[in-house]
Amino acid sequence: MASQRVFQLGLRRAAAPSFMIQPAGRMVQRRLANTISKESGEEILAKQRLHRPVSPHLSIYKPQITWYASGLNRVTAVILSGGLYIFGIAYLAAPTLGWHLESQSLVAAVAAWPLWAKATAKFTVAMPFFFHCVNGLRHLAWDVGVGFKNATVVRTGWTVVAATFALSAYYSFFH
Amino acid sequence: MASVMRPGLLRQSFASPAASQRVFSTFTSSAARQSSPLIQQLRPAFARDAVPKATRIAAFHATQRQQILPPLPQKIEGSVNTAVPVPNPDYSHGSYHWSFERLLAAGLVPLTVAPFAAGTLNPLTDSILCALLVLHSHIGFESCIIDYFPEKRIPKLRVAAHWALRIATVGLGVALYSFETNDVGITELVARLWHA
Repeated sequence: MASQRVFQLGLRRAAAPSFMIQPAGRMVQRRLANTISKESGEEILAKQRLHRPVSPHLSIYKPQITWYASGLNRVTAVILSGGLYIFGIAYLAAPTLGWHLESQSLVAAVAAWPLWAKATAKFTVAMPFFFHCVNGLRHLAWDVGVGFKNATVVRTGWTVVAATFALSAYYSFFH
Repeated sequence: MASVMRPGLLRQSFASPAASQRVFSTFTSSAARQSSPLIQQLRPAFARDAVPKATRIAAFHATQRQQILPPLPQKIEGSVNTAVPVPNPDYSHGSYHWSFERLLAAGLVPLTVAPFAAGTLNPLTDSILCALLVLHSHIGFESCIIDYFPEKRIPKLRVAAHWALRIATVGLGVALYSFETNDVGITELVARLWHA
């Protein structure tokens, strides 16, 4: 029996050279690892998962036009559609609440504003509108498989930004 | 046979008092050196437990922790190696849905450009614009709910948000129908407000 044991140890040493450095530590570690039950293993895993980095962590990414434009596309969409929804539901509720949201009242109300307020309001609405419209064309181009090269995406992204500013300024201040 | 060997091996590992002290102490002599990930891996499992947890974990973090949404208590469903469930392929939720969205978006392009080129739209095209806007907005908000109301974290709020959106969309449809039939239409409204 003893000779068999010695033979086995010799085989192990030959198979794993690191086994020779610290046989004591290795053996004890292996025995402890084998005694962990499935349940306690899952408990350890669940505890470890609590320490993982949490996903919405935008600040670790470098600001780039690619993902900034993509995020802005959704932000502007929510602003525009949110505005439409709010107007629509307010228009439905207006007779009950005694509000006046028909076109004549709205136009009369806006006409009473000072010029700077009108220009500011127009620019504030025009920016998300033109951004979403022009960037929407870019998205439609991608959907048919055009303009996917990284350099192209960056160039068209900045083009969209420039076009947004130009169109918004023109329609807010010169139209 | 192996059990005969073990007492001897244990005695060997605790032979030097300094070593055993280091193994069972929660105060490490040089925390910076002992907490490096490589040293953690090279050390026996029970010795790893002795190092303060925060020190052990901090060694893996290269960036600042930002708890925008702290993780929920974790529970493992099935086993660790259970595969992600694959939904059944369904064309109406897959490619048809995608094509429908693109058709809507593409249809909005001429209806958006036309008022800039030719003044306000006639009632028919204005109504088509309204219908497309309602559908496009509904699909967009639906994607937002799917993305930002995760099923695992807030299942009830997600269902509530979906129903709130459906009700709001129907309300918007009724409102725009009413506005189109009783008032001037949205392109004309925007034009009048713009030049007010």
